[in-house]
Amino acid sequence: MTFSSLLLQQTINGLSLGAMYALLALGFTLIYGILELINFAHFNVFMIGSFVALWVLQGFGLSGQAIVLTGLPLVGVLVAAFAVTMGGCGLLGVAIERVTLRPLRNVTGPAAMITTIGVSYILFNIVLLITSAQTMNFPNPLPPLQWNVGGAVVTLQELLIWGVAPILMLGLWAFVQKSRLGKAMRATAQDPEAARMMGVEVDKVVMTAFFLGSALAGAGGMIFGLYYNFTSFLIGFTAGLRAFTAAVLGGIGNVPGAMVGGILIGLIEAYSGQFIATEWADVIIFSILVLVLVFRPSGLFGRVAPTKS
Amino acid sequence: MPSATAALARPFAAIPEARRRQAATLALALAALLFPVYHGNQADIDSLANAAIYASLALGLNIVVGFTGLLDLGYAAFFAIGAYTYGILSSFQLQPEWSSFWVPFQELGLVTQMPGETTGFVVHFTLSFWLGLPLAALVAAGCGVAFGTPTLRLRGDYLAIVTLGFGEIVPIVFRNWASLTNGAAGLNGVAAPVLLGHSFGVNATPYYYVAIVLVSALIFMSFRLRDSRIGRAWMAIREDEIAAGAMGVNRVRFKLLAFATGAGFAGMTGVLFIAKLQTATPDMFDFPVSVMILVMIVFGGIGSVWGAVAGAVSLSLLQSWWLPDLTGWVDAAGSAIGNRWLAQVDLSQSVELIFGIILVLMMLYRRQGLIPAYRAPAALSFDQQHAVVQRGFGELRLSGLGGEAHTGALALGVRGVTVKFGGLVALNAVDIDVPAGGVVAVIGPNGSGKSTLFNVITGLVPADGGSIRFHDEEILGLHDYQILVKGIARTFQNIRLFPTLTVLQNVLVGQHARLSTGAISAVIRPPGTRREEQGAIDWAMEILAIFGNRLLPRAGQAVSGLSYANRRRTEIARALASRPRLLLLDEPTAGMNPAETLELAEQIKGLKGLGLTVLLIEHKLDVVTTLADTVYVLDHGEVIAKGRPDEVRRNEEVLRAYLGRNAQAAAAGTTGPVHVA
Repeated sequence: MTFSSLLLQQTINGLSLGAMYALLALGFTLIYGILELINFAHFNVFMIGSFVALWVLQGFGLSGQAIVLTGLPLVGVLVAAFAVTMGGCGLLGVAIERVTLRPLRNVTGPAAMITTIGVSYILFNIVLLITSAQTMNFPNPLPPLQWNVGGAVVTLQELLIWGVAPILMLGLWAFVQKSRLGKAMRATAQDPEAARMMGVEVDKVVMTAFFLGSALAGAGGMIFGLYYNFTSFLIGFTAGLRAFTAAVLGGIGNVPGAMVGGILIGLIEAYSGQFIATEWADVIIFSILVLVLVFRPSGLFGRVAPTKS
Repeated sequence: MPSATAALARPFAAIPEARRRQAATLALALAALLFPVYHGNQADIDSLANAAIYASLALGLNIVVGFTGLLDLGYAAFFAIGAYTYGILSSFQLQPEWSSFWVPFQELGLVTQMPGETTGFVVHFTLSFWLGLPLAALVAAGCGVAFGTPTLRLRGDYLAIVTLGFGEIVPIVFRNWASLTNGAAGLNGVAAPVLLGHSFGVNATPYYYVAIVLVSALIFMSFRLRDSRIGRAWMAIREDEIAAGAMGVNRVRFKLLAFATGAGFAGMTGVLFIAKLQTATPDMFDFPVSVMILVMIVFGGIGSVWGAVAGAVSLSLLQSWWLPDLTGWVDAAGSAIGNRWLAQVDLSQSVELIFGIILVLMMLYRRQGLIPAYRAPAALSFDQQHAVVQRGFGELRLSGLGGEAHTGALALGVRGVTVKFGGLVALNAVDIDVPAGGVVAVIGPNGSGKSTLFNVITGLVPADGGSIRFHDEEILGLHDYQILVKGIARTFQNIRLFPTLTVLQNVLVGQHARLSTGAISAVIRPPGTRREEQGAIDWAMEILAIFGNRLLPRAGQAVSGLSYANRRRTEIARALASRPRLLLLDEPTAGMNPAETLELAEQIKGLKGLGLTVLLIEHKLDVVTTLADTVYVLDHGEVIAKGRPDEVRRNEEVLRAYLGRNAQAAAAGTTGPVHVA
């Protein structure tokens, strides 16, 4: 392959990864924007999303890559799987908030963040025990179509990802910008106290943020499975940390920033895997995380991190 | 349960508490020392040695997270760095070609010469375990400083994520840098410790004793550091960074010190850990290890030394003793009732699940942990609570405080100071003179810039122009802690004490800049340090005596339990403890009733009588009239009037600022809304 076709191929890969990271990063940003909480549980909500999708697809009788659907059945199965996965993960997120985080809402210090680490650990280990630490083959109903573009290959999976992720992100953006609850979310992010006094039901806003963020993480988990054709209890940590880096890169709390940050991290991962070495990709990404936090904590696109005094 | 422990403790009640603690510690130490003698099982001794190793790690993390409040999620990285430092220097991993360069090292016993696999001679590193311990501690601490210098300025949750990233990077580097570390396969043939010619080999008992000595030393160091100037500075940072800076604590330096100390503990422990295993692989130091140690200190009690030990030992034994036992019972029960799943379940696989559940339950229901760092102090007796208030201050002689002759020399000269917040001009070219030995008051409506004035003088807010001179020395641009060193101490409008520290500890933090104890002398506690500490306590008590019996009986209580007025008094005492030449009081009587206000005004007057220079923000005009020689009136960030209190009270500009522009019109009889500030 020539350099330019390699570059194009890695750009295609990077955009696909980036779309997944962006979905995951949005959840971090939504919850951080409202509660100023780094939600470690999000890592493994994503992981569970991939398993929910796996079980739903298996429920449709699919297994591995052997059974391929086309036309309306394909669309129906995919829509159903996305809907169930996102709904399930959204409810899981709401449950996590309701049971473990709401009692700590007014506790200062790291208690809430430590709790999310604990929740994340619980989710991780439950799946580990259920799956006996096995890597699972992820059912893929898509026909194995691919196209040659300028020496690089684009698969149907990638086209699907590029279709689904922007629709979900635009939907979220429209919700936050246009809807009444979205306005309440933005108000709460600015000043929870004032929002409460103006009649915003903060509990409802927080629940909505957890539902939406976790639902997007679920979609991200399903995309992970479709893209890599496998899933495992292990996938949450690395993907979650990369997505968190994406959120920080875009300016945590900033919704469009998380999308752009996700794409950037996906591209960085793809390029550094190709042109440097795969095993150093994480070192590069986490070094970016450290550097951005130290030198530009408000991220590339502003919104100065709110300071809790 | 408390009643049961109380009943148990009753026969010992006559023995002083300190003695009881010593006896308990001694009993614990004896039990630990004799364990291998009365219990010969190697596997159990090994489990306990591991428990002691985790306790050492937990003690180090407790300094970072518990004492200083810096959430470090990548702590295992320092454990790894220490381990690999020793591992690489005591194994066959690196074999550079032999040259005369290595001869001096050979003399020192650090390397030996051995025949190479292909040709000639190569170097074999043979660093002794006993040298490896301090060396690894230094290397890990150095890495802690290198990593902490740029990152410790970050806010708490960002720091957590950066440390998490660091904790990820370090094992990846060890995994990928195979020429140095043999990659994922791990270092092999790490040398076992040798003592008096005997190698420890694979016998668990000597490792157990080394681990016990190490953990004892770290417990001792933790206590010595906690109860010293160093520990108080750490806890002050944890409780309130801004107040800590205003009391003279150099936050960056002390955070780095905490980070380096914790890293050093981890580095030393790493050496013992891999010397015992005689191998090291990168996955021994992954994220789960950092989380496990965090769970241990959360379970035991964040900030509590015995808590860290208890949490680490119990969770580590849970893994190695109790879960396997429990699994045996459950499996037996399962076979008995014919349930296949129960008969085969292995509970030790779910240890991380149990850790997660512990973490969540502790956060929800018992955040202080098994052994809380702070115990509720004994309540005051009825007599103490209902004692007649003594105001203190008959003949006040505070050694070495005040004494500024009222010569008219300028103590503080604020010239043309401007502060802008974005488009808002909070202070506009403000000039204020505070003569030495005088009391100057600043009054003005809310939002007029009074507190901003204090913040710019004490270095909390940068100025956009002007100059602030203190005894003919420019202080604008100095850090907050440097300004305290120069002799300016302050209180805050919203009271910023260190809530979980006692009254005495708060006042001792105030003396931080006037004491010199460093980390090493805090641990060794030579006579000079003892004298300094005793002197600090005496001085703190002398200051508390200003407020009669208001604070003295409560010196051992946490300030979060004090009344509002007593918290104000404690804050003033804390500021005085730094032996300031200029005291800035931001609304000292706010929220006090008239009797308390009068009492405090008298006490401030007493300080003035000692020759202390005071700059005061106050809303109560009678207090201002009683105390101040000169009054400045601020409005919208500008000085609109200055003069003697009685002059200012009649000034029309001042009336307008306080009562609104329409007030005069209203007074003149025209209708219209009247704004009263």
